[in-house]
Amino acid sequence: MTTTEKLPDRHSIGQSMKRKEDPRFIRGKGRYLDDIVLPHMLYLALVHSPYPHARITKIDKTAALASPGVKAVITGEDLVAAKLGWLPTFHGFDNQMVLAIGKALYQFQEVAGVVATSREAAADGAELVDVTYEPLPPVIDPYQSKLDKIILRDDREAKTNHIYHWEVGEREKTDAAIAKSDVTIKERILSPRCHPAPLEPCGCISDMNGATGRLTIYMTSQAPHVHRTAFSLVTGIPEDKIHVISPDIGGGFGNKVPVYPGYVVATVASVILGVPVKWVESRTENLTTTGFARDYHMDVEIGATKAGKVTALKVSTTADHGAFDAAADPRKYPAGMFGIVTGSYDFPTAFAEVDAYFTNKAPGGIAYRCSFRVTEAAFAIERGMDILARKLGLDPVQLRMQNFIKKEQFPYPSPLGFTYDSGDYEKTTKKALDLIGYDALRKEQAEKRKRGELMGIGVSTFTEIVGAGPGKHFDILGIKMFDSAEIRIHPTGSGIVRTGTRGQGQGHETTWAQIVAEELGLDPQELLVEEGDTDTAPYGLGTYASRSTPVAGGALALASRKIREKARKIAAHMMEASEDDVEWKDYKFSVKGVPGKSVTMKEVAFAAYTNPAPDTEPGLEATYYYDPPNLTFPNGTYIAVVDVDADTGAVKVRRFLAVDDCGVVINPMIVEGQIHGGLTEGFAMAFMQEIKFDEGGNHLNTNFTDYLVPTALETPHWETGNTVTPSPHHPIGAKGVGESPNAGSPQAFVNAVMDALSPMGITHLDMPLTRDKVWSAIQGAQKKT
Amino acid sequence: MNLEWNGQERIPASKATVWAFINDPGKVASCLPDLISSNVKDAHSVDATVKVAVGPVRGSFKFAITLEPSAGGNHMDLKISGGGFGSVVDLLAGADLTENADGTTTLDWKGSASVGGTVATIGGRVLDAQAHRVISTTFENVKNQLSGAAAG
Repeated sequence: MTTTEKLPDRHSIGQSMKRKEDPRFIRGKGRYLDDIVLPHMLYLALVHSPYPHARITKIDKTAALASPGVKAVITGEDLVAAKLGWLPTFHGFDNQMVLAIGKALYQFQEVAGVVATSREAAADGAELVDVTYEPLPPVIDPYQSKLDKIILRDDREAKTNHIYHWEVGEREKTDAAIAKSDVTIKERILSPRCHPAPLEPCGCISDMNGATGRLTIYMTSQAPHVHRTAFSLVTGIPEDKIHVISPDIGGGFGNKVPVYPGYVVATVASVILGVPVKWVESRTENLTTTGFARDYHMDVEIGATKAGKVTALKVSTTADHGAFDAAADPRKYPAGMFGIVTGSYDFPTAFAEVDAYFTNKAPGGIAYRCSFRVTEAAFAIERGMDILARKLGLDPVQLRMQNFIKKEQFPYPSPLGFTYDSGDYEKTTKKALDLIGYDALRKEQAEKRKRGELMGIGVSTFTEIVGAGPGKHFDILGIKMFDSAEIRIHPTGSGIVRTGTRGQGQGHETTWAQIVAEELGLDPQELLVEEGDTDTAPYGLGTYASRSTPVAGGALALASRKIREKARKIAAHMMEASEDDVEWKDYKFSVKGVPGKSVTMKEVAFAAYTNPAPDTEPGLEATYYYDPPNLTFPNGTYIAVVDVDADTGAVKVRRFLAVDDCGVVINPMIVEGQIHGGLTEGFAMAFMQEIKFDEGGNHLNTNFTDYLVPTALETPHWETGNTVTPSPHHPIGAKGVGESPNAGSPQAFVNAVMDALSPMGITHLDMPLTRDKVWSAIQGAQKKT
Repeated sequence: MNLEWNGQERIPASKATVWAFINDPGKVASCLPDLISSNVKDAHSVDATVKVAVGPVRGSFKFAITLEPSAGGNHMDLKISGGGFGSVVDLLAGADLTENADGTTTLDWKGSASVGGTVATIGGRVLDAQAHRVISTTFENVKNQLSGAAAG
């Protein structure tokens, strides 16, 4: 069932236009990185450390070099000689080894690269690189790391595993308010380590042309321009001599934002050998070494009055960052946008702090389709509110309703420093309650409880923070987080549209065409959208953090309006009217007060090349770099209904409803598709996915038999709906949606299961809620009674 | 991943015969299941290449084996370390010999292993059984070879 709030009749925006990219993907005509084969291309395989923590005393290349087809073996020392041993991490406060130098800091860390004539020959050669290790005791738990008994990073001046302390809000005032509160809750809530696991893993082909001195890198990149700049800064190759092409991408979810060792080693190999070098990681390499998500241990405290009015929120987090601080957070925000942790509620005061630690695990932390730590924050507050509701004896919806930020409070300054743009949380929630029949479900639950059946209803009324972002606050490597659009309208009224973002399945080729078509009255089918080529696309910061529509979408609308302004001049010339008398109405230019006298944008386009106004430059194109004045704050109310089998611990998600408010919807079908995909991932996080390590630091989820991705078989049926509260500052009122279902849904599932188990006195279980975890909790609770 | 096992073999040979056998690195290596090749380095050490199949990990592992006999001829420590396929295995086995009244010898063994890398991560669920098989078969082979010698 889908219910979409009716949008005003529009030419293009609001239409469920079929995705222009789909014929290519459905027919197997996409062009992904691994489809690209260049003449004389060699292949790179990486050697990985079997130990999570070990000194490397010797690397013997002899046998590998003698292996058939092997052309080169590259080690960390070789990269040090080329001044590429270490790279700055994206937010610039740490350095990361490209290949292990002296010490391996996590299991599967890249230790050497072998380049050979085929993928198989490279893998065989990698097996023959003889590395001598002296194992060291690993530190896997951040709470152990905190003790500083074993210092992991020899290279850093400060002899501590503590990376940073970050805090926001008022500590004393919050502590005092909590101390004075009638009712308080305190719970340690873990957002476990999980992994985006895109179906296409990461990879590149580096092609250094010795004759032109130009380096072309085809790479699975969510941010091709940033990667070009990073490559230039690190290698010293002038930026005009670097061409990054990000071809079709088979899912990114934040996994394809960082720079990985494979990219650097393939590039060095291409420079040395003078031929293209391809690196494509295996599933195991993707799961064990590339950007993971979360690993936030959050101590959540909420104070409230007896009547259930919240008084204060305090969240103290221990963050496990792995071996390097490689999270691509903006400089001012080492814990990303964790300050959104006050959620949809009007807290009089709040305080949040994060202490991050190194461990012997792969670095990363902010990937998986909504982070910048928003998913963690949304999970913490939504679980916290549920635990509080239970303690107060209130229905969790009632507690939320009486603490929502009210519609009239927007723009709302949050106690942790953000200004929420707009929202109508009550309206969104009421719609969700009506659509799912909340009261009837509660009645059904009461009857079932009498019979001892475990039925649960879980609610999440989350607020997201996306669209990074205002350049004054957000940057990557110092580059402000604006984005860009370039539009060229051809003489016949079709055109080409390019942005600095790079879609990975989101449907940009369709959505961008719809925005431009709406602004210019053109046919979206005749607007070609192209992204991912740094030689042609305007500079942008890429696609992640649900920023494409809030930022590049704004740039598209404003570039279109620049074109419209120029077109108005041409239209005036065409209609022999004064420019002031020409108005844009009903998607064409008309002369005010002269009915029937009008020209279409298509006609203007032709004139722009054949008959421009005398004082007007020929042609019809524009570029806009859009630095948004604020972030956008989509919200949603999600409701899960589950039945728990007390004998097996199995949870059946009987119903799930997502009512989203992402502002103005450009293509309802694409938005719904985005929500379906995200809910499926949220379901996986809640019930299936965790990257675990044994006591020796062995990674226990290295493939898809041990790290589960839901199939159609276990995925529940999704029901969706929406409300529309436009963003007041966005040129077309859109807010972004790609990450809402991931930020919004895990806690709805968990809240539902905890609701089912609440009669047994179970307050909280950490994700994933596997059968054995749920069963063990039930068994434990039954023993107590 | 740390694993531990123990077992016992009753060998139809005198304690002195068994002691002499387990002090010979070449003979010890020959008892490893799925041995491909071995190379005795000195009186107490031997390198061996063994075929290994743990779940989807299949290939040859190279092991360095060191014998550490204790004075008195009752106890032998065996250190086996090595690996392959991005995996590392450190195995420590201890064998205690007791002479029985019927002229046979009881060999009590204890083994512990720490396993890291691909084998531990991919083969986790079958690793315990597989490693147990390797070590118990090794001592079984000690018995079989000595039984054969006795019979022959």
